[in-house]
Amino acid sequence: MTPRSLITGLLLASAAAVPGLAQEGRDVTIVLGEEVDLVEPCMATRSNIGRIVLQNISETLTELDVRGDGGVMPRLAESWEQVDDNTWRFNLRQGVAFSDGSAFDAEDVKHSFERAQSPEITCEISRYYEGIEITPTVVDAHTIDFRTEPAQPILPLMLSLLTIVPSETPMEFTREPIGTGPYALAEWNPGQNIRLERRDDYWGEQPEVTGANYLFRTDEAVRAAMVQAGEADIAPSISAIEATDPAMDKPYPNSETTYLRIDHSVAPLDDIRVRQALNLAVDREAFIGTILAEGTEIATAIVPPTTIGWNSEITPPPYDLERARALLEEAKADGVPVDSEILLVGRTGNFPGATELYEALQAMLSEAGFNIRLQMVEVAEHEQYYSKPYVDDRGPILVGAQHDNSRGDPVFSMFFKYDSEGRQSGIADARADELIAAATAATGDEREQLWSELFAYLHDEVVADVLLFHMVGFARVGPEVEFEPTIATNSQLQLAEIGLK
Amino acid sequence: MSDTTTVPVPPKPAAMRERPALLRLASMLWADKFAFAAALLLLAMIGCALVGPWLMGDAAGGQNLRARNAPPFDLSRGWLYVLGGDALGRPLLARIVVAAQNTLLIAAGAVACSMIIGTTLGLVAGYRGGWTGEVIMRLADVIMSFPSLLLAVIVLYMLAPSVANLVLVLAITRIPIYLRTTRAEVLEVRERMFVQAAIVMGASTPRIVFRHILPVILPTLLTIATLDFAFVMLAESALSFLGIGIQAPEITWGLMVSQGRQYLTSAWWLAFWPGLAIILTTMSLNLLSGWMRVALDPTQRWRLEIGGKRNG
Amino acid sequence: MQRMIGKRAVSSLISLVGLVVLVFFLSRLTGDPAALYLPIDASEEMRQNFREIHGLNDPLLVQFGRYIGDLAVLDFGESIRKARPAIEVVLEGFAWTLQLALITMTLVTLAAVVLGSLAAFRVGSLFDRLASMLSLIGASAPDFWIAIVAIVVFSVGLGWVPTSGTGTVWHWILPIAVLFIRPFGLIVQVVRGAMLTALGSAYVKTARAKGVRNRPIIFVHTLRNAMLPVITVIGDQAAALLNGAVVVETIFGFPGVGKLMIDSILQRDFNVILAAIMVTALAIFVMNLLIDIAYALLDPRIRT
Repeated sequence: MTPRSLITGLLLASAAAVPGLAQEGRDVTIVLGEEVDLVEPCMATRSNIGRIVLQNISETLTELDVRGDGGVMPRLAESWEQVDDNTWRFNLRQGVAFSDGSAFDAEDVKHSFERAQSPEITCEISRYYEGIEITPTVVDAHTIDFRTEPAQPILPLMLSLLTIVPSETPMEFTREPIGTGPYALAEWNPGQNIRLERRDDYWGEQPEVTGANYLFRTDEAVRAAMVQAGEADIAPSISAIEATDPAMDKPYPNSETTYLRIDHSVAPLDDIRVRQALNLAVDREAFIGTILAEGTEIATAIVPPTTIGWNSEITPPPYDLERARALLEEAKADGVPVDSEILLVGRTGNFPGATELYEALQAMLSEAGFNIRLQMVEVAEHEQYYSKPYVDDRGPILVGAQHDNSRGDPVFSMFFKYDSEGRQSGIADARADELIAAATAATGDEREQLWSELFAYLHDEVVADVLLFHMVGFARVGPEVEFEPTIATNSQLQLAEIGLK
Repeated sequence: MSDTTTVPVPPKPAAMRERPALLRLASMLWADKFAFAAALLLLAMIGCALVGPWLMGDAAGGQNLRARNAPPFDLSRGWLYVLGGDALGRPLLARIVVAAQNTLLIAAGAVACSMIIGTTLGLVAGYRGGWTGEVIMRLADVIMSFPSLLLAVIVLYMLAPSVANLVLVLAITRIPIYLRTTRAEVLEVRERMFVQAAIVMGASTPRIVFRHILPVILPTLLTIATLDFAFVMLAESALSFLGIGIQAPEITWGLMVSQGRQYLTSAWWLAFWPGLAIILTTMSLNLLSGWMRVALDPTQRWRLEIGGKRNG
Repeated sequence: MQRMIGKRAVSSLISLVGLVVLVFFLSRLTGDPAALYLPIDASEEMRQNFREIHGLNDPLLVQFGRYIGDLAVLDFGESIRKARPAIEVVLEGFAWTLQLALITMTLVTLAAVVLGSLAAFRVGSLFDRLASMLSLIGASAPDFWIAIVAIVVFSVGLGWVPTSGTGTVWHWILPIAVLFIRPFGLIVQVVRGAMLTALGSAYVKTARAKGVRNRPIIFVHTLRNAMLPVITVIGDQAAALLNGAVVVETIFGFPGVGKLMIDSILQRDFNVILAAIMVTALAIFVMNLLIDIAYALLDPRIRT
């Protein structure tokens, strides 16, 4: 501890002792469900890390407005423009300093990008830039160009995921993250807590909260109890079962979508009537307010309704046992082996009530005449079923899964889940491939149009999967702070958005 | 068993001492009311395990979201719901009855296997000693330090998560306790007078071990085994909770306990009844083994026989 | 005694090596860490790169050779998840676990021996029945029940102790109390049983027949004789605690080695699994050695 920080500490301590001054601001305690292994900025797209790092320690050039309709907003970049089809130019904010005192400039942006892409470390952010050749070029200290091949109409949105680190950051995972954000890492006791402290020299508006202490508790009931007992101010994620106090518990769409992925390559699931029957046999309404929380929405796409291109004209399949049975009969008459045993794979503990959900689905599908065998598995085994390469001599499989996209654009989902080459894709459909490629390259209204078309095509014509629900999460917020969870609360939690009472 | 009950016993004036063994046992059981209740309960559990799935299989699987988390002691939905309903509205009573089969199969299988293997190895290690003993003991060390979860992941990942494989995993992890206990006791017992006397008189090794040493050790082993019943059921529950081991739609009490965990603060009965079933089974076994300790010991048996007369 | 310890050290080292070999190869049969570490939609290229960085592409034997080579210079490898030396992560957790295990087992031993003996001396009495009943419930009740109910009652309801976490002495009360119950129930039963056997044995009866009416003397002699199985079971329970008190650690947010072990097994973080097993195995070996020494001290006739 340097003498100066000692004095500051003493001043702060004495300030806290004087009631009048104590209202200046205070620390908050946040209890999270999953411990962090790393506090590495280039891993901030992983939700447990992002909740601590994103926009608190490390900032990004742009930021998606999740509270309003602002779209992509400036953060470390003040403005941007498309120079030509393949080039975007970003004008960077001036007078910004990192928490180690060094100034922020275009070299830092370039280094941050190259570090995220480096083969020497496995940064999670880089997967969002996969298959695109991006070359950053420093124009001057506060201007940087990104040249992309092929053209990237949504590059500014994509850069909302790139956390900026100083150009001196080595090509290995750091345990002392340096960023431009309003807070800096002050203390980290692995397994126990992480503490962030407010910076005095932050470029933007000073947030009210002076610091945050993050605790980690795996058990939902304990997290809820901690807020209730006053040991924590915010538990961003508790289960609907625990959320019994409307004064403290705030629901929010948590951007997760559950669905059953259908493997179209194996009979009888290759027959569209069988897939339609699957959809008709599920009484989706029955789940809401029972096994799943009130406010859960029935899904018609794999991305939540706040995503661009959302197609409100698609209607979810009705619950119609008669028709489901009739379709199965029809398929059977045509020689489709509808009696074969279909494996339904679910993941234990994937979300609260997961086992119950799958057991109920099994019962519903059996009722319609399907021969369903349910198997609940742990994450490693689930991954084997969910992702390619699929095993060779597999029977018909439905994989229950949950997908998270709070990024505002379907591009982060559609290729992986529906392109013939996508890692979790159950379909191989030329028209879908075309639409995905076209939408990815399009801008503005055309882009929205194409995504809408794709959603409708997959839902109504391909009957790609059994889409189920857009899930709801609950945050428990203590009486002394103000905090409204958003659709992004799963992946980030900006301390600047917390108010004190 | 049927023989003893159907064969008519000719009436004898001094029947007391010459009653058939089973009847005498029953009257000794009646003398200890706790043990008697325990025996009844265990019989009921075994009955559930044998005919439960056949009797109540449909009721245990029938979902009814309107009876979701139905509270216990409410007979308006029928007697099946007397213990309440689970998160899918299935009657808990029926589920507990049906789950008895898998649960008791796994627990009895695991406890019996680990006890037999552990005791045998412990007898060898304690009586023979030397290199064989050393190797066995170090093997026990290795098993003791091998995390049971890792073993479960390895076995159940490479083989399928079946009842037999689960028994295998649980049995292996419980071997050391029997092995070490047996050996420690053997080390002491073999120095006792009567064993030394038997050795001097030239009794064969199996005879010494099984006739002289084992009976002395058995009560302690049984005490541990009865408590291990609970341990095995709960270990199985923990594995289910982590996504390994028995999974829905199969049911065991352990799985029910682990599924009810998330409802503990809102619908306690989901985890409570299956937990209570585990506790009651363990207690019954323990009481019965305590009774057996007395009943099988010729120097103590009089306690029960006197009691039997008084109560009979 | 020294010869025994020396001999034991050698044989324990052999079993430790065996354990490491076993765990190294078996754990690698259970799946690819790349699939678990990387996001689900990471490309094959990224996966390949990840395996390259962590040396997972080499043949198993090469990986094993490298691991043993590093081990020889006390390098236990890096944790994939935490990007830190595995042994550092493990020792951090183990320090907590060791404290928790020591405190809990000391309390358990004292309480269980007293209660179990008292119950055995008054066999069949109300006290005996009650003690047996309660300890049985304790030994067979699911521990998370007790933990959650304890939090709801003592922390949220009464506000006597913090719900969870570390920091003050108060934070230790609930975890230790919950951890205490199961071994306590088990050991009370074993003490009671062993005492009954010992009380029924010839020499105690002889002593009584000879008119030794002094209860303490009988107590001490019987206890001494009953201790063998008791110590063994204490050892077994302590070993279980040294392997980590998973439920207590997860519920109370206690940073011990149990949850670390579970997480690294589920995430296939091999270096951490191996380091954790080596550390706990060492502790268990030492404990078993101490138990064997205790046998010899309790009963000089025993040659272990």
